[in-house]
Amino acid sequence: MENEFYVAFGPLMISGSVITTWGVMLAIACLAWLSTRHLEKLPDSVQTSVEIVVSAIDEAILAVAPQHGRQILPFIATLWLFLLIANLAGLIPGLHSPTRDLSVTCALAVLVFFSAHWFGIKNLGLKNYLRHYLSPSPILLPFHLISELSRTLALAIRLFGNIMSLEMAAMLILLVAGFLAPIPILMLHIIEALVQAYIFGMLALIYLAGAMQSQQPNS
Amino acid sequence: MLMDFNVSTFFLEIINFLILLWVLQRLFYKPLLEVIAKRKSFIDQTVADANTTKQQAEALRDQYQNRQQQWEQEKQAALVSLNQQIEAERSLQLNKLRSDLEDEKQKLQVSVSRQQEEFKKLAEKQALKNGARFAVLLLQQTASDELEAKLTSLLIDKLSSLPNDCTSSLHLLKTQKTIPIKISSAYLMPVELRKQLELKLKALIDGTITFHYFQAEELIAGVRIDIDSWELNANLQHELSAFAELADEIV
Repeated sequence: MENEFYVAFGPLMISGSVITTWGVMLAIACLAWLSTRHLEKLPDSVQTSVEIVVSAIDEAILAVAPQHGRQILPFIATLWLFLLIANLAGLIPGLHSPTRDLSVTCALAVLVFFSAHWFGIKNLGLKNYLRHYLSPSPILLPFHLISELSRTLALAIRLFGNIMSLEMAAMLILLVAGFLAPIPILMLHIIEALVQAYIFGMLALIYLAGAMQSQQPNS
Repeated sequence: MLMDFNVSTFFLEIINFLILLWVLQRLFYKPLLEVIAKRKSFIDQTVADANTTKQQAEALRDQYQNRQQQWEQEKQAALVSLNQQIEAERSLQLNKLRSDLEDEKQKLQVSVSRQQEEFKKLAEKQALKNGARFAVLLLQQTASDELEAKLTSLLIDKLSSLPNDCTSSLHLLKTQKTIPIKISSAYLMPVELRKQLELKLKALIDGTITFHYFQAEELIAGVRIDIDSWELNANLQHELSAFAELADEIV
């Protein structure tokens, strides 16, 4: 096991995960800026590719939350894009995926947790939103609360565990077997990165959609 | 250790994600979705325009079809009218043609009847000529001095019963001193007949008379008496000539 890199500015400690996240953010922002510099009504190949990605995300979101798809599109799409790039960042030699850090996955899970409440209250109102915790019976309130916490914790732990274990397995195989031995594991890393990004984003989408539509059949 | 929870990282990651969300919202989603929306709007507008154009085309097609039906009806009506006009004109032309044909037929009938009449006259003339020729041949074969004597006797008898106009004209001849009378006959006239004839002529004409006798075979049979400008004929040639003149008169 390796020691984590830290840069300390007083009480603020900047870890390697944060720095990698900044790199990922910069890469995503640059790609976004480059791909949307000259948007035309008749798109070129780059614009077409970008539009395909966004349209696919949009359709996936609309399939789950048809009434509020555009409202949560930026959050979910950013989650997917960030997690995809962040998960794949571990393939670059010398870098590690930020999502192998529990602090990062917890931050993302907490963001999903609060976003669900935020969008739920925004769409349903505070009273209506809180009412769903008491339905179908107030007795279920503790279970609702436990569910909220557990699913958030599960989001964080699932992503963290999968990505960390993959990187650790690749590192162990590299140490034990040699230079080219971890290549199958790295290929598995690619698939796992895609799958985990999709799972995290899809679960977040379902949580947000559930929060926004929890009272709609009654209303 | 990675399993450790770092509060700084936790909050920095939250901030990082919110910044990334803001940046992508500004740089990526918003312009891209706007372009997609514009394109969709453009496509919808194009589709709407196409639908409008299609509806207009269908309306024009319906109008054209209606107009075509009207044209068809007008064409049929015009065709019926034209057929009626053609029928009327045909009847008119047919009647006119029948009338012309009737006129031509009448003209042809008149022409044919006239030709038939002329042909008939020519045939009659030819028949008369043939008859005259035949009579001439027959009379030439049958002529004789006895026939001539009979004709001369007949002339002598007729001289007694001449019309008054003739006798008056003969009397006017006495103003001349000598009146030459030329008597022609186909055969040589017997003396007896000459004397009877001379006596008869002297009885009709007061004055000096000289008689000259000639033989003219062209008379066939009979005599011809020339008194000054007078000519008395009692011969077959003269009768046949009169017969031929009659034939010409008939034609």
